[in-house]
Amino acid sequence: MVWKIGLLLIFSWVIIGTWVFEPPMSSTFNPEIYRIFYYHVPVALVTFIAYALAMYQGLRYLSTKKLQYDSKSSIAALLGTIFCVLAMVSGSIFARFTWGVFWNWDPRETSIVVLLLIYLAYFSLRSAVSDPVKRANLSAVYSLLGFIAAVFTIFIWPRITPGLHPGAPGDSKIIVMSFNTLIVFLPALAAFIILFLWVYSLSVRVASLQKET
Amino acid sequence: MTKLVPMFISLLIWFVLWFYIIRLDRKLKDIEKNA
Repeated sequence: MVWKIGLLLIFSWVIIGTWVFEPPMSSTFNPEIYRIFYYHVPVALVTFIAYALAMYQGLRYLSTKKLQYDSKSSIAALLGTIFCVLAMVSGSIFARFTWGVFWNWDPRETSIVVLLLIYLAYFSLRSAVSDPVKRANLSAVYSLLGFIAAVFTIFIWPRITPGLHPGAPGDSKIIVMSFNTLIVFLPALAAFIILFLWVYSLSVRVASLQKET
Repeated sequence: MTKLVPMFISLLIWFVLWFYIIRLDRKLKDIEKNA
């Protein structure tokens, strides 16, 4: 219970810090929108963690052949996809007020759509196979390939293709976070990761109860 | 005011979400005990 109250307090601090301090990039054209940074970046990071967890549980299934790991893998992939949509929506709002339009097929935006399509295909694959063992085998291998694709689409593709998003080649701006930004951003990262793990463990418990009944 | 209103609305949403997950957690524990 202590960590749950801790999460309540940390997230409340993040929300208060978002509005009380100066925006992270106060010198830019529209600084107020930069407050979304405290949510957009952690949500994108949790997407990656969730897909990594899906792959890990998939590998555990392949090594033990226990179906509970397949269930855990699919739950992690589902939560990763929810966080991926959140990253996409928050990024789109961010883009509207910094680049002028909600969507302009920047390499970062395109890569997240590709990532989302890869994991939507994962769920259609799961729903197409009725045999649980065959479904688990295929899903485990797919989750491994999906994670490799996630590494490519999140970390490599947007860094080798010119674009507007920070980190694109030719982007000379170095983002230095002030102390006030760090004391909100780091708790935000921790809070989103804890929230994800909490919802993940709840979902796993629900799935195991459903199997028992 | 332009910062306080969204801050309090966000806090309210977060508190509601937190209590909702806590309730789910407790219900789940009860079901697990009775199972």
